[in-house]
Amino acid sequence: MSTLAEDLVLLTMDVDGESSLVQQGALECAFAGAVLMDLAFANRIDTDLHTLVAIDRTPTDNPALDRVLAEIAARPEAADTRTWIAELTNEADAIREEALAALAQRGILARQDGLLRTRRHALVEDEAKRRTVRQVADVLDSDDIPDPRDIALIALLDACDLFLEVLPEFDVERHRPRIEQLHRLDLIGRDVAGAIADVEHSIIQAVRARSARFRRLLLHLSMLGAGAALATLLLPRIPIPDRLGPGIAELLWFDGVWQQWSGYLLLGLSVAGLAAGLRLKTRLGVRKAETTPVRRPAGSAQRWRLYHLGLGVGCLALLFAHTGFRLGANLHAVLMGCYVGALACGALVGIATGAAPQLRHIGIGPNARRLILRLHVWLLLPLPALLVVHILVVYLY
Amino acid sequence: MRKATLWILYVCATLLVAAWATITLTVGGDRSTLLIGETTDAHHQIELACETCHTARLFTDSATDSTTDSTTDSTTATEALNQTCRACHDDELQAARDSHARKLFRGPRMAVYRERLDVLQCTTCHIEHRPEVTRPGAVTVATDFCIACHSEGDQDVRTARPSHAGIEFDTCATAGCHNYHDNRALYEGFLIRHAGRPWLAQPPLHKLSERYRTAQSGQQARIAPLAPTSALTQPALDEWASSGHAAASVGCVECHAPSAASSVVLDDIEAHWIDAPDTAICEDCHEAQADTFVLGKHGMRRHPLIAPRRDPHRQLQAMGLLERLPSALVAWLRDPPERTRMTVAEARLAMRSDAARALDCGTCHRPHALDVARAAARACATCHDDLHSRAYFDSAHYTLWQAELAGDAPPGSGVSCATCHMAKARRRGKVVTSHNQNALLYPNEKMIRPVCLDCHGIRFAIDALADADLVLRNFQGKPSVHVQSVDWALRRVGTVDD
Repeated sequence: MSTLAEDLVLLTMDVDGESSLVQQGALECAFAGAVLMDLAFANRIDTDLHTLVAIDRTPTDNPALDRVLAEIAARPEAADTRTWIAELTNEADAIREEALAALAQRGILARQDGLLRTRRHALVEDEAKRRTVRQVADVLDSDDIPDPRDIALIALLDACDLFLEVLPEFDVERHRPRIEQLHRLDLIGRDVAGAIADVEHSIIQAVRARSARFRRLLLHLSMLGAGAALATLLLPRIPIPDRLGPGIAELLWFDGVWQQWSGYLLLGLSVAGLAAGLRLKTRLGVRKAETTPVRRPAGSAQRWRLYHLGLGVGCLALLFAHTGFRLGANLHAVLMGCYVGALACGALVGIATGAAPQLRHIGIGPNARRLILRLHVWLLLPLPALLVVHILVVYLY
Repeated sequence: MRKATLWILYVCATLLVAAWATITLTVGGDRSTLLIGETTDAHHQIELACETCHTARLFTDSATDSTTDSTTDSTTATEALNQTCRACHDDELQAARDSHARKLFRGPRMAVYRERLDVLQCTTCHIEHRPEVTRPGAVTVATDFCIACHSEGDQDVRTARPSHAGIEFDTCATAGCHNYHDNRALYEGFLIRHAGRPWLAQPPLHKLSERYRTAQSGQQARIAPLAPTSALTQPALDEWASSGHAAASVGCVECHAPSAASSVVLDDIEAHWIDAPDTAICEDCHEAQADTFVLGKHGMRRHPLIAPRRDPHRQLQAMGLLERLPSALVAWLRDPPERTRMTVAEARLAMRSDAARALDCGTCHRPHALDVARAAARACATCHDDLHSRAYFDSAHYTLWQAELAGDAPPGSGVSCATCHMAKARRRGKVVTSHNQNALLYPNEKMIRPVCLDCHGIRFAIDALADADLVLRNFQGKPSVHVQSVDWALRRVGTVDD
């Protein structure tokens, strides 16, 4: 039988083995909660108001569950569920990798070698994912009495606000009464139910605490980036003062040496931004060199996302230093258009991520975000070629 | 696998574009999409003949030693660029008695001034592909550039000349008082010499035009035309019969069958007959006109110093690639065909929409009539459609021109477009028309000595040319601007005399 973590992996991955979920922070909480819920189902842990304790140290034959169980059992001082959720989110990557490995072992996923020494997992066939999605949808659509594990999975998705991402076509608000009803169903043993509810409650608190701060920061940074990109495209160029002498404007925008400095700094910052973006994208892959699951700090995806965005905003600032809102001519204008367009789309993706709940209310869901993300990537593709053209023209003439 | 293939394709496409750019820039191909910024009005016609100006070898050090004037291989990129400026414009500057000639600034005593403004390099004030700082005359330096040298010490004009105290430096070259290069009609002695002349001479006659027009009147055909019957049409014959060609015994053969061995044997003429002769035929005889035509915007594409198309064979041979590349690729690497004639559509001034044609001799001079009177004014209006051109036909100048053409006024009293923009000059005892219509165009004070002063006083001429609205109205009315340079010059002389 699959674990809740494995179900989560299936629900959140596309056929290429990539997860493009908006709420990486929530997903990390979900993985932490999934392990604790599975341990509760296996009657290995119990909770009360103040503590989460191991009541049975017998291994479950699942490496992830056993590792976490050992950690809980080995802890000298008692900790409550919320503390454990916070700690286990640091191991979300490891939990996910172990789930991936388990799914690969069962033939549901296939391992593929990717670029940059990464390893990906792709669905061998869509059926496993479809089955899991259908399982969730069926529970919500019908009035039947569901399997307790399905209730736990739905509780996880609901607590982490992941319904829209994993079931975008699903109108979760329409099914809200059913979700509430499932919460009230006393289908799980009393002790287990208490632990599940405690885990769910702790997840909600953790997700709220983490995502609110992250979203606020993300939103502000993205809006700054979008504003800067729009300004670059729409504002008139900063004029060169009609006064003789080496003014800063003339040095910045017409002096060859300064132009080279700002140009190459911009190139360097862009490469750093690209690297941060790739790190964000490949973060869910497993490095070939890594033979054992790695413990990565919680929210590392969020941090990489912020780095990526911050570098994008930095690029726009340097672009201003390089051009002063001058859009250029001919292929150089195309280079400028693609570059600013890519940065603008990146900022819009950030806004779509940071303001996801608000946008959802006005009917803008993850599909729009995915579209802008694709545009962001497509606009980046011609940049190397156009940059070569730009540099060659500048140096050869 | 599919993704890996796409990545490989993407990397290949990127490398291909980079290779295309490198080859287009160094070997041959259309470079119009690679231009880094709009070219000035002065050079936009030749902007794709990049090697006309960019003659430095690849990756030449861009640092420049402004004191050198060497043409050796060690020439820097900037110096090489400036050499090309001088190659085309030096004659013009010499003719203008350049007030700031380079030779004046070469010595070590001038190093301090060169430090502030490197006047040895044309590109200090005239840099291409920077439209936003390009001012009239392709000037890209700040308007107050005189401040660099004339604001300190014995060069400080504000202390040396009380009349200049408190004047801002951005007005020196914009108020009609001074030019950087051409001050032939603006220097103090000249102003004083001509200060007493009335605003309109009596009679107002342009002397060279008078000589030219007098020589032209009463021309009669001296020979009978000889041409294949099929080519002889009555309108063409009529036009030719009253033309200068007929009067100079230039018949059909000289233009339509120049390679015929005999100008009287019809069979030979028929065998070598050309229906539409090339302008090179005109240039054979009208050398002076052809020489000046290529100096103006109408004909600059034919200037001998414009770089020819690049030869990909030669470039590839030098790189050792000619034999290794397929001939189809080598053929593809050719530069676009040379455009040797300016077209009306490419003009940046307002032009008539129905004037889509290329410029050569026949554009202004009807091939058989060669009507210079029409070419002097009406022909201009068949293309030019700006305010100044349109206003001409309501101006006093045009009324005088019509009177002269009608015989009601003496030769030289009328003012056509050509009178001002294509000034007459003496050449080997004859009066010839300069076909460089840009020679006196900017700054417009260049027009004062060869044109305006024949009929007008210097005060009026300077004021009129400084009044931009009056120029647009083609001088209908009196100037509303007064340039004080003559007053100040006279006052200064008076002070000295006192």
